[in-house]
Amino acid sequence: MPSSADITPGATINVSSPAQRLQSLLADFLDKTQATFSLVIDRGGSILCQHGNLDESIDCTILAALAAGSFAATKELAARLGEPEFNTLHHQGKTANILVNTVDDDAVLMTVFGPETTVGLVKFYSVGTVTCLAELLKEARSSPDSQVAISRQDITGVGNIFPQ
Amino acid sequence: MSIINYVNKEVQFKIVYYGPALCGKTTNLSYIHGHVAETSKGELVSLATAADRTLFFDFLPLNALIIKGFGTRFQLYTVPGQVIYNATRQLVLRSVDGVVFVADSQWDKMQENVESFRNLQDNLVLQRLDIDRIPYVLQYNKRDVGNPAPVHYLDYILNNRPVRVPSYEAVATTGQGVFSTLNAISRLLLRKFVRETEETAAAGKERSAAPAVTALSGIAAGTRR
Repeated sequence: MPSSADITPGATINVSSPAQRLQSLLADFLDKTQATFSLVIDRGGSILCQHGNLDESIDCTILAALAAGSFAATKELAARLGEPEFNTLHHQGKTANILVNTVDDDAVLMTVFGPETTVGLVKFYSVGTVTCLAELLKEARSSPDSQVAISRQDITGVGNIFPQ
Repeated sequence: MSIINYVNKEVQFKIVYYGPALCGKTTNLSYIHGHVAETSKGELVSLATAADRTLFFDFLPLNALIIKGFGTRFQLYTVPGQVIYNATRQLVLRSVDGVVFVADSQWDKMQENVESFRNLQDNLVLQRLDIDRIPYVLQYNKRDVGNPAPVHYLDYILNNRPVRVPSYEAVATTGQGVFSTLNAISRLLLRKFVRETEETAAAGKERSAAPAVTALSGIAAGTRR
């Protein structure tokens, strides 16, 4: 199995922000696996970051919500079989496939891939990628540099956010 | 706490519509989807049974431009109201930022309203959340039924806490009160978000630990399980 160091040689070094490093990591993962698209998703269904090319008609937000729901449901299945969770979930189609991996307690990695690659290859590289992702997310959560500076002066139009 | 996708410069809020079976949660989302501006909405996804009852959740993403420099996405979910689906409700509540509790105004639904509200509190505790510490609003739906329970009675059974929350009368089938409810919870979420980011910034200046909001993850420490 590849270690986290094997997966992205150089890709996570000398780049300034955690966001850029996440992007580099996902780009490297897609390059090695020939997968189409990757999403890092909070387990509540929100997108943390994404990379790759997906048909513009596909709403990533919906993919994230459904993937998080699906993964959460399998976790409950696992619990009933005495497992903490199933750490990967694979959906196989004729031309599109999905692999979802646990990243950490708060996030999962969803990868969309087609017939140009194999589930074995995607699984192989996903192991090291999620290890790196977990480290990067941990860093991002604790880094003062990644805090967002928004004040009430930055908010406008709250009187009627969604007009009918 | 909200999630920030720093790559896309987007703040994401998760709002869950909660309440007893057949109180009108899905109807709220359907009405919003049908009447909000095309540019603001995504697709409405419903994971329902063959009988059109919510099995897992309904999901509707909405966009707004209200934070300078960031896109804002409100992700609306419903839970299945039927009692047997409690495990599913717990899954949908994960990482929730705000709640709309939809109550049914029919007299014979009062016990179900109360039980569902208690169930909400219990399920929030499992997410390490306290109903008194997250933004929520009440919607008294089905005001068009014959002889609905009076608002003061609904307030007495559902809004009788130290801090009373905003409540809205509604007829979700016609849209009455639907957008008032949505805008109210959205405002509450934004207010909390700004307050917490300002507090975090102030605390950062004082070299305090435990950031409340971080880019990419945006997770308030210990609150999102």
